[in-house]
Amino acid sequence: VTIRRGPRPVNERLRRLLIMLPWLMERGETPVAEVLERFGITERDLVKDLELVAMCGLPPYVDEMVDVFIDEGVVFTGVPRLFTAQPRLTAPEGLALLLSGRSALQLPGADADGALARALDKVHSALRATGLDVGDSESVVIDSAAPDFLAEVTSAARTKTVLSIDYRRAAADDVTERVVVPQTVFADQGHWYLVADDRRSGAERTFRVDRIERCEPTGDIGEPRDVMLPTDRGWFAGRGLPTVTIDLDASVAWVVERFPTEQIVDRGNGAVRAVLPVASVEWLETLLLRLGAAAHVVEPEEWRSAGTRAARRLLELYE
Amino acid sequence: VVDVLERVTNLLALLLESRPLTMQQIVDRLEGQYPASEVAARAAFERDKSLLREVGVPIDTEVGVGADAGRTLYSIDRRRYELPDLGLSDDERAALQLAVAASRSNDAQFGLFKLGGAQPGRADVIVELPESDALPTLHGAIAQRSTVSFDYRNRHRALDPYTLLLRESHWYLVGFDHGYGAYRTYRVDRMSSAIDVGEPGGFERHADYDVHTVFPKDIRQLGADERTATVRVDDATVEVPCANADAFRAWLFSLGTRAQVVAPSDVRADVVAWLTAVAR
Repeated sequence: VTIRRGPRPVNERLRRLLIMLPWLMERGETPVAEVLERFGITERDLVKDLELVAMCGLPPYVDEMVDVFIDEGVVFTGVPRLFTAQPRLTAPEGLALLLSGRSALQLPGADADGALARALDKVHSALRATGLDVGDSESVVIDSAAPDFLAEVTSAARTKTVLSIDYRRAAADDVTERVVVPQTVFADQGHWYLVADDRRSGAERTFRVDRIERCEPTGDIGEPRDVMLPTDRGWFAGRGLPTVTIDLDASVAWVVERFPTEQIVDRGNGAVRAVLPVASVEWLETLLLRLGAAAHVVEPEEWRSAGTRAARRLLELYE
Repeated sequence: VVDVLERVTNLLALLLESRPLTMQQIVDRLEGQYPASEVAARAAFERDKSLLREVGVPIDTEVGVGADAGRTLYSIDRRRYELPDLGLSDDERAALQLAVAASRSNDAQFGLFKLGGAQPGRADVIVELPESDALPTLHGAIAQRSTVSFDYRNRHRALDPYTLLLRESHWYLVGFDHGYGAYRTYRVDRMSSAIDVGEPGGFERHADYDVHTVFPKDIRQLGADERTATVRVDDATVEVPCANADAFRAWLFSLGTRAQVVAPSDVRADVVAWLTAVAR
């Protein structure tokens, strides 16, 4: 949950208030610091909303509805009458919970019959009971391809087990050996990444898990550390990347569905001209090889022959 | 001026505590909180109602009888407002909390608060779920078998929705397209209009449907019993399904000069012919 700057929208304030009040009432006395940490809000916002709700009430009994006040860094609540229970789950909340859980169940090492699966069953039943139809197993599918060492790096990131890895660098096409302290594993745009501290340089590095060719624990345990990941989506795509303009025949127009695009112009009969960010020339070459004669680079000039060059290089293998 | 949050909280308390009320009765009970003009009061009341519904408060309406004949009465059923106890154990709640930490989903976080979970700390594994306002709508339509329609790349589409599929950080809607008379896949974030949802029970799923046939992922899903090609990758030799020529080439070319087709000869010849066409 992000802490917003500037005025908070009233729907977010109401949503949080209706969740916070039952929790505070059940406890009676709660240190302010605990409330702030639990709900990820600032003290200023908490004080503002609690002061306001303390004013609530129906004439002629104004300000007698919710008995709540803050004194010496502690939130006190009196005998509760209203807002004693949590509101039911909304459809977006229920769906997001189920999806988060199902996506976590696909991670290496997840126990399909464990605590998470049992929790999801209970959420499922609660949603059905409130009339939210949650569909069946075909309704939502989460695809994730697990590269070879995903289970190893995931478990090492949890325990901070120091790993010795062989890593293939894409640009140089060479393999180097490194000793790293795994911190976080994340998935983005279909690839898995390991954020780890390189023991030799001490610097944070991001490794693509499918380029790890050997992975062994060294037996050491490293220091856990907070890793700051960008909050934006598309960590490696988008801003600042060069772009390519490609004409795509109808047969390969699916490209614009599968990759980030900056612009799409229809050319009639299903054909399109698309502007795509290019993460690496290697990626562009692979794409052009795959699309074959159904795609043509319009610009920039230096990439018009990128596909041709890549194809000639591969043809040498078959001579 | 009354803070909207204060007025809405009062409205919620009133509807939870009293018998069903007309709008005028509500405005009278919350004296001075709604604007004096009836038109402005009505507009503010409508906004308050949608605000409450948005955060999950179910507001019931009925048509009054007797003195309130013909007027709409509003109420909130406390049993439907309140979340029943799910009976989560501590380890189940903790597991859910880890899953939400991994997905970094704001909606899931609010759901977790309601179930007694806290704001999670550091996550060691992150599988971010892309969020979209359209997801709950589409998910509901799939569950109740409602045909949906929407604009997509300048065309209007009508689709019997079968599956929401998350792949490579994008949500796709897979279903049977009325216009094409065939299965089609659409990216949810590219839908360019509001989504119209038809009547529940508007279609039956075809029995032959399989999401991974309609939208194959990669060679791993092409079936092991179909034909295979022998490919040398670096110094190793691997057998790879090659019945789907496009998927096979995509995999092969992604390995660049590290991979070369060894056999069978016709697959090898096809690859050479394909590369020759590109090299021209």
